[in-house]
Amino acid sequence: MTKLRHLVWMLIAAVVLVLSTSQSFAQKRPDADEPGLVADESYELDPEWQKQVVYFRTNEPPGTIIVSTAERHLYLVQGNGRALRYGIGVGREGFQWQGLLNITRKAEWPDWVPPPEMIARQPYLPRFMAGGPGNPLGARAMYLGTTVYRIHGTNRPDTIGTAVSSGCFRLVNNDVADLYDRVPVGTKVIVRQKPQL
Amino acid sequence: MRTFRGGLTIGLAVAVLVAAAAITYERYDTRTLKRTIRRGEVLCGVNRGLPGFSIPDDKGNWTGFDVDFCRAVAAAIFDDPSKAKFVPLDASERFKELQNRKVDILSRNSTWSMSRETNYDLYFPAVAFYDGQGFMLPRARNIDSALDLNGSKVCVQAGTTTALNLADYFRANNMNYTEMKFGKLDEVVKAYESGQCDTLTADASQLYALRLNLPKPTDHTILADIISKEPLAPVVRLRDDDWMMIVKWTLYAMINAEELGITSQNIDEALKSKKPEVMRLVGTEGSYGEDLGLTKDWAVRIIKHVGNYGEVYDRNVGSESKLKIPRGMNQLWNAGGIQYAPPIR
Repeated sequence: MTKLRHLVWMLIAAVVLVLSTSQSFAQKRPDADEPGLVADESYELDPEWQKQVVYFRTNEPPGTIIVSTAERHLYLVQGNGRALRYGIGVGREGFQWQGLLNITRKAEWPDWVPPPEMIARQPYLPRFMAGGPGNPLGARAMYLGTTVYRIHGTNRPDTIGTAVSSGCFRLVNNDVADLYDRVPVGTKVIVRQKPQL
Repeated sequence: MRTFRGGLTIGLAVAVLVAAAAITYERYDTRTLKRTIRRGEVLCGVNRGLPGFSIPDDKGNWTGFDVDFCRAVAAAIFDDPSKAKFVPLDASERFKELQNRKVDILSRNSTWSMSRETNYDLYFPAVAFYDGQGFMLPRARNIDSALDLNGSKVCVQAGTTTALNLADYFRANNMNYTEMKFGKLDEVVKAYESGQCDTLTADASQLYALRLNLPKPTDHTILADIISKEPLAPVVRLRDDDWMMIVKWTLYAMINAEELGITSQNIDEALKSKKPEVMRLVGTEGSYGEDLGLTKDWAVRIIKHVGNYGEVYDRNVGSESKLKIPRGMNQLWNAGGIQYAPPIR
């Protein structure tokens, strides 16, 4: 009888311990990925991050994607000095990169397999997560070259305009679906960084 | 006799030259920099109240894009942005008052045009803000190009170049429109609000300010199309080159700083940079400041106290302000806009 009571108490203690550690993880990284959280699609973005047509002068042909990580904007060049601009979330300090890549694959409601580098940094992440509303990759993903980077949706619309990702570019689900329908595989993606001192 | 007459001619010629020189000397002020330094402050002619550009609060503290530019000039000279004194001027008197030396610089949303330079003997050193005429319309109409405005009823202020530009634009693109003219801007806005017209046209900077006062600002969108040239620039007196150079390079230092990634936040780090362009701007290499009649750290003073071009834009009229005017043409030349500063070298 005492043994059973002992066991019950130990169980309760274990549950409390697990809960408190996961809590402390959540508190430590309030901006990290939150697998399982269902996106609040009614979240209203600040005007700065809302999809809009803007003046944009470039020599790149219409259909090219230009990402400005410093501005947190993704431009889809439309020609005639115009571009469709989306607000994005970008890589946090140390996870920023620049270069020229192509979209090599497109997927709707993609599954999430966090790359080993990410698991090493954030061991609490799942090894695999099936596509769906609670998936941090959101509604669509466009894979960039052979890298681990993607342009994808999000279940955290509140992170648009911030630098929190592991190097991916995230858009709100409505925007990423809109972009997805406008760009084919093979689309040129130019990523620009702020200059180094 | 002959030599006497010759001497007389020469004497007369000299007298005429001296008189002409004296008149020129009077007509053109060449001492603004010296006077400003002696006085210990820069006198800035500004708009009496234009949100985002120059407006005083109830304690008399001025804020705005034009105000900050003048503070940048004061910072470059005195290492103290508070050495800028603001003199509010009406549109009708601004150029005369600059001519009359009541102010050292006009930083007052003034469009640079040829006749303004030639008629008033003034000089516009560089474009601080590319403005231009645009269109505002209800977001629900789902239009994102001015070329889709065919057949629209357009609200516009009567007797302005805005109305003329509107006519030119629709004619050039073979489109029809019904002009809804009103004498005052408030009337134009009221007519738009009450649904008398499909779209309202005015300068883009103005449209963003007008939108703020509508009952539901987010229900209205401002098109990216700009149909006229309204380059807003600071103004100085003609032939006052030392002063003109300081005003011009103050703006260019701010634009170059943004291009190089130097901000008020990382200026100390920039002083340790080994990148040649950064070193020339912050004065750790060369004597660019001294050549301007200022100190080595002239640009550092500007950036530290006021910020780079992008910081000043965002704070006053851009993403961090109420106006939220997209950078558009005012983005840097290598990031989608046309703001381009000659290099410091």
